[in-house]
Amino acid sequence: MTVFTPVTRLPLVTTDLAALLRQVARQDVDAFTSFYDQTRARVFGLVTRVLRDPGYSEETTQDVYLQVWRSADSYNPTAGSPLAWLLTLAHRRAVDRVRSEQAASARDSRYGAANVDLPSDHVADSVILRDERRQVADCLGSLTDAQREAIQLAYYDGLTYAQVSERLSANLATIKSRMRDAIRGLRKCLGIA
Amino acid sequence: MTEPTDPDLIALATPYALHAVPESELADIDRRVAAAPPDVAQAFDDEVRAVRETMAVVSAATAVEPPDHLRDRLLTEVRGDPVRVLGPRISGRSGGRWRGIALAAAAALVIGLGALGVGLALRPAPSTAEQVFAASDVRTVSAQIPAGGTATVVFSREKNAGVLVMNNVAPPRQGTVYQMWLIGDKGPQSAGTMGAVAPSTTAVLPALGSSKVLAFTVEPPGGSSQPTSAPFAQLSLA
Repeated sequence: MTVFTPVTRLPLVTTDLAALLRQVARQDVDAFTSFYDQTRARVFGLVTRVLRDPGYSEETTQDVYLQVWRSADSYNPTAGSPLAWLLTLAHRRAVDRVRSEQAASARDSRYGAANVDLPSDHVADSVILRDERRQVADCLGSLTDAQREAIQLAYYDGLTYAQVSERLSANLATIKSRMRDAIRGLRKCLGIA
Repeated sequence: MTEPTDPDLIALATPYALHAVPESELADIDRRVAAAPPDVAQAFDDEVRAVRETMAVVSAATAVEPPDHLRDRLLTEVRGDPVRVLGPRISGRSGGRWRGIALAAAAALVIGLGALGVGLALRPAPSTAEQVFAASDVRTVSAQIPAGGTATVVFSREKNAGVLVMNNVAPPRQGTVYQMWLIGDKGPQSAGTMGAVAPSTTAVLPALGSSKVLAFTVEPPGGSSQPTSAPFAQLSLA
């Protein structure tokens, strides 16, 4: 094996999201494709849940993944999991979009709904995701109504904690502790270290 | 979790992590965290991190498959994206040194195809791997890596693709990657690099072409356009 010819790089796909991100940072399109395929339902679903508009949701999802493509090298494994990095990024963009739309025109009263309704059709078909969905739904169900409501309004409806406090006629400290307790409850229920 | 000395600041960690803090307050919170005693800053960061990891898991509850045209659009855009362009790196390092590192890097061996099932289940779309497994001419070759670990390729000539499974192969030394090469009549063609190797790592080889051998070398980060060291393992695809 002594005579080698220059060649183009061919792709590699692994199921380790952190390894994929390192490859994406080197502009490996196939690693990016695999990363997209393994995470797209979570990202698109979250963005859609926040934006509730198919057109905006597609645009925002596309922007999220373009950001992944361009800034995969900014992912720091010591700061959290790849999935947390990705969904934080996706949620930030979705919330920013909601707030800019809100600024442009007051949104309708869809915000009133205080339950985390799960999409019943068109759901992701991964077996693992289905199992996880069931577990997460159970854990959401284990929260108090007040805790669930706080997460719903803040995380899925994009309200600030002050807006949540107004909406629920509860003081700021109460709202903040509901949010914290909701996360602690979920974390414990889901067994997240 | 111990409750640290600045409860007001810590209480903001959850809304901060949920993006439920208005833009106008973000800079102030960041400044307070930066100025806080280390244990307070640590408690704040821990809470933010815990919220984000939790909501990442919770995202299963809202998962919805995006339309296929989004994937097409995105991949078209990414392929033509001019923002970052990194060229392949070519290195003149001596083969002996890299081979030594490769041999030192590999560890214990045991093969288990169980991991492959997990890898496939994680992929929501019908994948190259699934096509390979469904192919009528599917074949498996396996080799032990001299210093430990196993590499297995399941492949189909009909599908022109294969799936590589690495088991218990130690990760490459810091600052190096493993690179895979499909070797045919025209010499070695890169089949991608592996920066980190989990106890079980799978990789798709989407275009076998006329290759007869899959070989592994140790290369500088980013990989090389041609091998810069002798292979430390080879699998015959003939």
